[in-house]
Amino acid sequence: MSDVTTPPAVLRLDAVSKSFGSNRAVRGVSLSIQPGQVIGLIGENGAGKSTLLKILSGNYRHDEGTIAVNGREVQFRGPADALRAGIGVVHQEQSLFTNLTIAENIEVNTPIGRGGVNRLGLYNWRRLYADAAQALDLIGSHLNPKTRVSDLSFVDRQMVEIARAIRVSAASHTTPLVILDEPTAILERTETAILEREISKLRDIGSVIFVSHRLDEVMRICDRVVVMRDGELIADRSVDDVTEEELFRLMVGRETHAAVRNRRSIEPATKPVISIQDLTRAGSYTDVSIDAYPGRVLAILGTSGSGREAVARAIFGAEGFDSGSVSIAGYSGRPSIKKAVALGVGYVPAERKTEGMVGEMPADQNITLTHPGSAAIGPFELPRRRLSLARLWFEKLDIRPREPEHMLQDFSGGNQQKVVLAKWLNSSDLKALVLDHPLRGLDPGAAETVNAQIRSVCDDGTAIILIPDTIDEALDIADDIVVMRDGRISGVFDLGHDNPATLDLLERML
Amino acid sequence: MTKIESETTKIDRETTKLAVPVRAKFQSVKRIGGWHAIGPIVIFVAILVVVAILTPAFIGGGGLAIIASSSAPILLLALGQAMVLNVGSIDLSNAAIGLLGAILLALTLGPVAGLSPLIVLLATTAFGAVNGLIVAYAQVPSFALTLGTLGIFQAVALVASGRTTVYVSSNGEGIHALYESGIANVPLTFWMGVLVAVSLWVLLRYTRIGRGMTAIGKNESAAIFSAVRTRSLKVLAFALSGFCAGLAGIAIIAQAGSASPTGLGSDLLLPAIAAALIGGTSISGGVVNPLTVIFGALTVALVPIATTAVGIDAQAQSLVYGAVIIAVVALTMSRNKASIVK
Repeated sequence: MSDVTTPPAVLRLDAVSKSFGSNRAVRGVSLSIQPGQVIGLIGENGAGKSTLLKILSGNYRHDEGTIAVNGREVQFRGPADALRAGIGVVHQEQSLFTNLTIAENIEVNTPIGRGGVNRLGLYNWRRLYADAAQALDLIGSHLNPKTRVSDLSFVDRQMVEIARAIRVSAASHTTPLVILDEPTAILERTETAILEREISKLRDIGSVIFVSHRLDEVMRICDRVVVMRDGELIADRSVDDVTEEELFRLMVGRETHAAVRNRRSIEPATKPVISIQDLTRAGSYTDVSIDAYPGRVLAILGTSGSGREAVARAIFGAEGFDSGSVSIAGYSGRPSIKKAVALGVGYVPAERKTEGMVGEMPADQNITLTHPGSAAIGPFELPRRRLSLARLWFEKLDIRPREPEHMLQDFSGGNQQKVVLAKWLNSSDLKALVLDHPLRGLDPGAAETVNAQIRSVCDDGTAIILIPDTIDEALDIADDIVVMRDGRISGVFDLGHDNPATLDLLERML
Repeated sequence: MTKIESETTKIDRETTKLAVPVRAKFQSVKRIGGWHAIGPIVIFVAILVVVAILTPAFIGGGGLAIIASSSAPILLLALGQAMVLNVGSIDLSNAAIGLLGAILLALTLGPVAGLSPLIVLLATTAFGAVNGLIVAYAQVPSFALTLGTLGIFQAVALVASGRTTVYVSSNGEGIHALYESGIANVPLTFWMGVLVAVSLWVLLRYTRIGRGMTAIGKNESAAIFSAVRTRSLKVLAFALSGFCAGLAGIAIIAQAGSASPTGLGSDLLLPAIAAALIGGTSISGGVVNPLTVIFGALTVALVPIATTAVGIDAQAQSLVYGAVIIAVVALTMSRNKASIVK
């Protein structure tokens, strides 16, 4: 790096700081990225990653320090400036117009009047398709620019976002810097592999900042990893000199203490809490039979087309099925959410913001929404009792800040998920808990707390049905693993006596 | 386990700094929340002060009592409307239900006397519940459905009244007393509205039913996934709207002694919605305070007097209504839901 012949850094930050009132969200961050490098950026929720990204994307202006792009100092006045400088951000929540074609989405940021896509305020469609195809070609994608985005898979949409991010810099012949903000957070394992391949292709044309909570992924994809904590950049390591455990410690400030699960086989006499028989829903899943036992975690593995999420929703009564039966604690009548909840089933949905929580309600009211527990006297619910009940949960699940009277939407994702979990744990008689991607988007520290809580409810005799994000998550926490492929069960393992290898599970998924 | 606990408390201490941005965000939310609570009162008092300065005789001459008495039917309708808005729907038919209730009351007071108000309240509650059942179970959007039932109730009112004014033939004294007697010079009809407002406030603040209704208005999917009885609660909200409309019908008879499809109460739909909105109710659902709706109704009743005091032509009154509604909604609306509001 000291070699004077190396080209100027694509991006150089020098003591960049940003404050909101008295809070210094980013403090003196210095960082330099060379062309062709893939940098991993990790840190807990609230460590200042998002603020830093927003400074780079031109959404925020930094208070102190300097930013230089390709050796020239820059001052971004808005996202358009950042784009012109060659910095493209792919946000966590996709920002594509699903009702438009790929080409229109890619070209939406190109400046009006130049390049000929837009003439006299009208689209030059031929030019539009040609330019978009060129941008896709640059990142090695063979998608048809005329396809509507709504017809694309999640990974393909991600590729369109990347193409859009590099489009402007490709037009002005600057080296692009693509910032990917947790692109894999909601991807299945196989899809992640595809995306990893695509990211490494980006090396040839520019640099990448890759933000992720999955440390193993960061280790595989990146050349260097930088760690943020409390607004500061506390470590900058080459992936060759660092281990996953060390990264976890740097990021969270403590050691991992995930205990190895002590597993037993299913006792012959125990009765399942939830038993589904030959469950079939046309086009989604066929002849699925699963038993979930008290005190055991059952993980269902599968890719996005496996139908495992639909099975989980059928158990909770949130979706119908065509034939077969779902029996909860002996009851096997017409399923509905109300009935399932009355029988002691809880469900943590994957779509937290839309289905899991009422963001504009205070956290304490979310906790007592389904099971009021000690907060209620008959039909009445007393605010003071509710608050003290919520405080107990905040303490138990380490939900921060300890202010349950505030709107749930103002908490970070990990803390929101803990509140959603507390909503179900507040039941006096929780027989089964269905968890659909419970760790999605959580930082490792929050994920560990959630996992510890899942283990503890499970040990108290609740049956857990888990749709995990990764195979490792299943191997980490499950007692039973069911693998689904194309809507059918392709493997059943009791980890009390089976010891399936990751590859073995993967094979049954694909 | 104890080791973990001691460690987490340590981290807790270390990361208290992290909580700061969240807390800063909280404070701004609190500020908006504060404005939500006092905004309707501030607006009412501000307009009142203007009127008092321009026409001092108004306050001295019992003007406040006049405003309160004329606001009673609007208040009752607005409270019902606010409950429906709270679950994310709208009830365009409730003023029509109220007028139909008034006509039924005028027709039946003679024959069945004391039973008549009871019958009217039962009928209007049932009308509201039917609206709610169709919205909740047939999933017809409430705007379209109640636009339709508005027409139906108007037609029924025309037929029932024979297109003329229906006078209370006998036994009208009891009902009339609601308007004639009062507390602090304000008729009982208004206090009836205040009583309903307080009851609804208790329902929303202290009961699980009220909490469920608010949850529906804020995020219906999450409410469904939390096993809130969303359908029943929607029906209940519409039934309450019908019940309040029935009370408004009683207030109309108490005041006028007669009812007609074109007389007093025939044009209360928009003023009642305006009162609910000025009273801080969110048009996109999930935000309501029945106590501030009282001030919304008072403001709506005050606007005609204020426009006269300021010297604006009576024909321009609806212009002032419009301006006040737009200003208030712009000031009090929760911006977080702005993306959902169309």
